[in-house]
Amino acid sequence: MSGFQEVKKNLFGGSASVSRQFGMIFTLVAIILLFQVLTDGLTLTSGNLIAVVSQYSYILILAIGMLMVIVAGHIDLSVGSIAAFTGIVVAKSMQNLDLPWPLAILLGLAVGAVIGAWHGFWVAYVGVPAFIVTLAGMLVFRGGNQFIGNADTVPVPEGFREIGAGYLPEVGPSTGYNNLTLLLGVIACVAVVWRESRARSTRREMGTQNAPLWISGVRLALMVGVIAFATLRFAGGRVGTSLPVSGIILIVLVLAYSFYTRNTVGGRSIYAVGGNARAAELSGVKLKRVNFLVMTNMGILSALAGMIFVARSAASGPQDGLSWELDAIAAVFIGGAAVSGGLGTIGGSIVGGLVMALLNNGLQLMGVGVDLVQIIKGLVLLLAVALDVYNKSQGRFSVIGSLTRPFRRQGSSPAAERPDSPSDSDRLPVRPLTHRKTSV
Amino acid sequence: MRNLFMKAVAVGAVTMLALGATACSNERDGQGGGAASAKGFAADSLIGVAMPSKTSENWVLAGDLFVNGLKEAGFKADVQYAGASTTVADQQAQISAMVTKGAKVIVIGATDAAQLATQVKQAKESGATVIAYDRLITNTADVDYYIAYDNFEVGQLQGKALLEGMKAKKPKGPWTIELFSGSPDDNNSAVFFNGAMDVLKPLIDKGDVVVGSGQNTVKQTAIQGWKAENAQQRMDSLLTSTYNGGKTLDGVLSPNDTLARAILTSIKGAGKPLPIVTGQDSEVESVKSIVAGQQYSTINKDTRKLVAETINMVKALQEGSAPQVNDTKSYNNGVKVVPAYLLPPVIVTKANVAEAYANDPKLAALTK
Repeated sequence: MSGFQEVKKNLFGGSASVSRQFGMIFTLVAIILLFQVLTDGLTLTSGNLIAVVSQYSYILILAIGMLMVIVAGHIDLSVGSIAAFTGIVVAKSMQNLDLPWPLAILLGLAVGAVIGAWHGFWVAYVGVPAFIVTLAGMLVFRGGNQFIGNADTVPVPEGFREIGAGYLPEVGPSTGYNNLTLLLGVIACVAVVWRESRARSTRREMGTQNAPLWISGVRLALMVGVIAFATLRFAGGRVGTSLPVSGIILIVLVLAYSFYTRNTVGGRSIYAVGGNARAAELSGVKLKRVNFLVMTNMGILSALAGMIFVARSAASGPQDGLSWELDAIAAVFIGGAAVSGGLGTIGGSIVGGLVMALLNNGLQLMGVGVDLVQIIKGLVLLLAVALDVYNKSQGRFSVIGSLTRPFRRQGSSPAAERPDSPSDSDRLPVRPLTHRKTSV
Repeated sequence: MRNLFMKAVAVGAVTMLALGATACSNERDGQGGGAASAKGFAADSLIGVAMPSKTSENWVLAGDLFVNGLKEAGFKADVQYAGASTTVADQQAQISAMVTKGAKVIVIGATDAAQLATQVKQAKESGATVIAYDRLITNTADVDYYIAYDNFEVGQLQGKALLEGMKAKKPKGPWTIELFSGSPDDNNSAVFFNGAMDVLKPLIDKGDVVVGSGQNTVKQTAIQGWKAENAQQRMDSLLTSTYNGGKTLDGVLSPNDTLARAILTSIKGAGKPLPIVTGQDSEVESVKSIVAGQQYSTINKDTRKLVAETINMVKALQEGSAPQVNDTKSYNNGVKVVPAYLLPPVIVTKANVAEAYANDPKLAALTK
């Protein structure tokens, strides 16, 4: 039985909260397969995958920022309002001031940064709880949207729409696929292979034991297979479509922020602050600055998300951004972040967001009404977090907990077979500055 | 070691190729363009209907009628309402889903008529025909037809009713009125308003009709979201600002019944005599109010007829013939003039309320 655990650990990387993430990936795959069957294969068609990415990229971008806010132990309720406010400012600036659209995007990001800094100031330097600061922000900027926009719907020019509704151009020879998307897929495959080989050689140099080669092979085959499948799907849509521009923005952000939160001192400080603010401060983390930056960053990402939505909708309207904060927060918690802060990963949040997105999309493809979709999404959120809380409470006293304790000490137990079974690191308080991940 | 690693990579590559070859069928040529719709489509095709959130009785009724009517006509129907809080995003996702499912015609009652350009483009490119139902979708070239009651005529009828009502009560002018218009994000708001002003403007210019507050543009008179509370607030402030000093208000132009009742509530609250108030939509409470002699008029736009005509359009498209339109120049959506089929609205006052609703089981009972 421990053999399976060993393989899983080697395949998916064997560190903190991976077990939980594996559970979510498993859930995601299960949802995709379920709906693939229930919708007679519509879920995995090129057209649908492209639509899902462009529909949910802005929520996933918000989830990146929200993950960092939640890891630091805060919450941000204002993201939808900031998005709507930025959207109307940008749309108006292009309509009334004839601002060229690239400048308008910069203006939007600046507006987001200023609003984020405003929130950061109150949270970090004055010490008002983020819940209150951003609740105020939610009202202020929703009102600001209506004040500036006069509650009108303001259209945006064609060029600007590219960031939300645009695709990669068709270039090069006619291959029956979108060539640039294929190119991106090849680059991704090469990057994955290169990363694996580098990891192996680093381990060899360091003198640690490498996992058996066939493990590397299977892992690479899986990842390359998934990338190839996705590439061909995204490249094989209707002529003129490809991986959406908003999806590319999302991927770049995910890679950048994953690296930042995992491999840099600044990123690890966020986990330190969320895990134990006092201890972090005593070990030299600049508490106020971390909080300030996390809130500012959220403002910038909200602005970006708002602009992408406006671009996709071809206009900025008074209803933009309504209840986005809830979608983003749900994605983060479904993705395994802890309500008390200090735990969670960008990758997990993206998977959490994708679970919600595909659930929503699958139910819509089946023609299930919005009323039921909301009920189901609500229950999924509750169950996902309840599972997390339950797993944690096991650490104190529980029958299952006492049964699985030997496993947690030694790393093998019958319960280990369950993909979503709790692992040691889910339960212990984080030791952020020493805690490093080895792989995705 | 190195060699083995390369072998592993090779295994990965082969797996990838295998996956790619077997699992991925290319969709590039699969979906037809506009040519397909010109020749009609299968009689049991999927027809998508995207409605706004269930905030008014009319939308719910229309949705039910579409489900039954399309089924009777032999089509598969997918009728969706937008959610209550995230209306625009929901509707966008629903339309995308309908395209994915291969709907041949998509009927859209837009939540925000200016924010659907990307989705209707997607629909059009997949070969579907887009019909804007009741609200004209703007800023896009990808809307094929528009079907609605003639909203300009609705406005004109409201304007005429307002004048007739005031004349009946007070034979000689000048009459003092206030104007209300609908939500600024609804394309119809301005059309109603302009229709009414088409009748009222000449009299306002002559001085026979006076707008008490001087607020006489669509912008100044707009009620965000068609919300009763907003209309009531505006009427409250108008009463305070303009009608405090004994000036009498003879009539109020209200674009629909919900707003009309809110306006009447506000006036009753202030203890002023009730003016002539117009309306639209034949809502149950307003029909009662008309029978009781409070609201002066409403407009009967029979949802049954509108849905039936929309389904006729779908049938024509299915057969490959051109659907009937009766207006090819009035409805410019900012990019193109959308061919429209307009149904004539009917004005209802206390005088004709019984005959107007004789065919409507629910409303007929109220008029007895």
